[in-house]
Amino acid sequence: MSTVPLRESRVLRWMLMALGVIIVLSLTQELARPETTDLVSAGTAASTLRRAVPILLAGLGGIWAERAGVVNIGLEGMMVLGTWFGAWGALEFGPWWGIAIGIAGGAAGGLLHAVATVGFGVDHIVSGVAINILAPGITRFLSREFFSNRPGGGITQSPRVESVGHVDIPFLSGGDLFGWSTPDIFGWLADRGWFIVSDVFAVASGVTSNISWATLLALLLVPATVFVLWYTPFGLRVRASGEHPVAADSLGVNVYRMKYTAVVVSGGMAGFGGAFIAIEQTGIYREAQTQGRGFIGLATVIFGNWRPVGAFLGSLLFGFADALQLRDRTAVHALLLLAGVAVGVAALRALKQHRLSTAGILLLVTAPMLWWYAVTDKVMGELPPVTPHIVTLLVLVLATSRLRMPAANGLRYRRGQE
Amino acid sequence: MSEPTAVELTGITKRFPGVVANDDVHLRVAEGEIHAVVGENGAGKSTLMKILYGMLPPDEGTMAVGGDDVRFTSPAEAIAAGIGMVHQHFMLADNLTVLENVILGAEPRRRGTIDRAAARSSIKALGASYGLDLHPDDLVETLEVGERQRVEIIKVLYRGARVLILDEPTAVLVPQEVEELFRNLRELKAQGHTIIFIDHKLEEVLTIADTITVLRQGRTVATVDADGVTAQELAELMIGSDLPSPSVAPHVTDDHVTLSVSGVSVVGDDGREVLTDIDLTIHRGEILGIAGVEGNGQVELVEALLGLRALAAGGITLEGESIGDWPVRRRREAGIGYVPEDRHRRGLLLDAPLWENAMLGHQTSRPFARGPLIDRPGARGVTQQIVDQFDVRTPGINTTAQALSGGNQQKLLIGREMIAEPRLLVAAHPTRGIDVGAQAAVWDRLRRARADGLAVLLVSADLHELIGLADRLLVMLGGRIVADLDPATTTPRLLGSHMTGAGRPGADTTASGPPDDPPGAESSP
Repeated sequence: MSTVPLRESRVLRWMLMALGVIIVLSLTQELARPETTDLVSAGTAASTLRRAVPILLAGLGGIWAERAGVVNIGLEGMMVLGTWFGAWGALEFGPWWGIAIGIAGGAAGGLLHAVATVGFGVDHIVSGVAINILAPGITRFLSREFFSNRPGGGITQSPRVESVGHVDIPFLSGGDLFGWSTPDIFGWLADRGWFIVSDVFAVASGVTSNISWATLLALLLVPATVFVLWYTPFGLRVRASGEHPVAADSLGVNVYRMKYTAVVVSGGMAGFGGAFIAIEQTGIYREAQTQGRGFIGLATVIFGNWRPVGAFLGSLLFGFADALQLRDRTAVHALLLLAGVAVGVAALRALKQHRLSTAGILLLVTAPMLWWYAVTDKVMGELPPVTPHIVTLLVLVLATSRLRMPAANGLRYRRGQE
Repeated sequence: MSEPTAVELTGITKRFPGVVANDDVHLRVAEGEIHAVVGENGAGKSTLMKILYGMLPPDEGTMAVGGDDVRFTSPAEAIAAGIGMVHQHFMLADNLTVLENVILGAEPRRRGTIDRAAARSSIKALGASYGLDLHPDDLVETLEVGERQRVEIIKVLYRGARVLILDEPTAVLVPQEVEELFRNLRELKAQGHTIIFIDHKLEEVLTIADTITVLRQGRTVATVDADGVTAQELAELMIGSDLPSPSVAPHVTDDHVTLSVSGVSVVGDDGREVLTDIDLTIHRGEILGIAGVEGNGQVELVEALLGLRALAAGGITLEGESIGDWPVRRRREAGIGYVPEDRHRRGLLLDAPLWENAMLGHQTSRPFARGPLIDRPGARGVTQQIVDQFDVRTPGINTTAQALSGGNQQKLLIGREMIAEPRLLVAAHPTRGIDVGAQAAVWDRLRRARADGLAVLLVSADLHELIGLADRLLVMLGGRIVADLDPATTTPRLLGSHMTGAGRPGADTTASGPPDDPPGAESSP
């Protein structure tokens, strides 16, 4: 379980899984017609990916820190630093520099967390909460100093910033290749209106056209994290420091250095996430624009069982719920149907395994959901904005996989003390 | 001793706040021998080995490996000098594979990545040449204790160690695993490795070692040849005086019944009966010994008495009151003291100071509490009293329980149970894993408490302890009481035959009884 080999069979399995999910959504959409048309569409898919990226980056940041045994509840604060430094860098030097400086800002937050927890043995939660409180204070101070005298800027926001630019993937979505415009295959297939097939290609088209370079970079960090943590000696040492630091130390591993490095990388990832929000998602730094995504990133760490691909799936789920509530509130209503069916399936599975009480509880949940779907046309106004949180909660509850966090996660490590 | 010297420690001194752990220790280990370092818990064996392995710097003294002076500042340097250590508490990450644990810190590389194929083949090769059977890709979490120890040994060999330090390697093993370990060690010795073996089980030491160095209170007492010494002599060297023995003067039994258990049955978690129709009585001032191979219902009996397990049938009376359906707290308040089998898991809060530990179980009564509030001065006063009366060696009552040696933890625990003057003490393996000095202190305590009228239920795997201490012995087998014996006329051999079911009351026990010590029994001097 400790390795995540990128074997072909696994990649294939994930692709099949993704296909399955799209088909289920597509069928749900057919059932829910005509009120909903946006459950599966290129727009929703593109939005899902864009919304997922910051959460993914926070999740990867969480994995780095926690694999080294440091609980990083300060991800949120590090993201906040990323939003400010990202926007500032983008204003001063251009968007790519903005991303880089945002990463540096988050990494600085990570370094602070590392000094406190690893260097001085402060409780990880205490230090993390302190950083979450500190970061908005710092950014407000910096905004007053650097943004308030600029046109469009103020103590709570920056002037508008440019994004790093977008790209269509050649051949798949009609991107240019050396000045030659390739055919937009996915787009063409998506427009055919073929039952289910076109939905699948609509999604494929959504995630391959007009995609930010920064998104591509963030997605690359998933295999990069897998590679570094599971395939290099350095990664093994980082993980060993999170599982059994005394053992690692007794074998000559510099545990402090591993933890420092991992937590700084963690902060850098969160900073990237923050910079992404400011530069790519909104094009502006605005106070409190992270909206707790650092914490949701932590939830994806747990959801993904402390593994990068798992966290990626978790971030997509959240991104999907987030995209839906933004784009089309009637789609959230259709989601009720889906949730009802999903819980129903879980109930049937429990029934088959003779876990009668579980099955009973699940059935009790299913019935009102389906009833609610049947008797209403749309959900009340308060519900859509919290959909992502509810979905996260539901999935965490229903996730039956055995979760296993690093054994020495969150424990203070002092050399020479056992 | 004509072999060249592998390791030599000269005049090693190491001080910790309030304690001198090593005081001018000398140790010379010849190449290719198995050299045992023995001593009571707290005699400074582990500290000495940590110094040799670079985990602690010595305050004074010099070390030489293979004739060259060395000074290690980290284990990495000791490893580079060819020294490897197998720790008492395994240094293995459960969630990593055998392979990952072995190569950690010395990973074979290919183009920047871990070369797993190379690692796998060298682990297999090492395993084959020393008879250490392992699967490199198993998760350590799934391994048995003996297998984990083999991983530790492979780990050390993988780093090219010529000198292996094993810190109490048998403490966690069952007898068959000990034999397996000894086979491995002899194989290593045959191939020219030097082994330093730390232990306090003298019979094991005499079986495996060539040379023995004895430490007492941080000092080297003697270095002797294993062939020319007996366990008795070693034990006397270790504790520096004549051996204590659990045997007691004849004792007058009282007629007053303190505890009476009748017809008790208990059903286990899987629905099967784990205790069947148990009848027993303990009189005032009587020690009732329970013998049995582990897993024959002793744990369940203890838990049933304490109220940790519900009775399926039968009743328990304490001083004439029926307590069979009372909750734990009420039973303890009625005067039951409890020394649990595993003091770390059930007896103590290792990270809490001694005075808080001393409160456990008394948290509702004076002088530990005043109404709903903790009475700190009261609790601390009583703790100091326990420390003084029961000779708990500690720098103070604010020290965490973790910092105490096993023997001192046990003395604190027994003190805690005795200070409330219980009427019945349920003691499960009260001297397990503690050194002979502390063992003697515990025995002495139990004897004195008996003289004061305490009734004791003593569960033990140490047959000498049972025979020496108990006034009456019951043998448990398969959840039933199968024999009621008089210790005065019982031998370990006879007891062993009852425990394994080989002996029938009145049968000829000299025929083909099992060996004197049952599996799992700790050898005692």
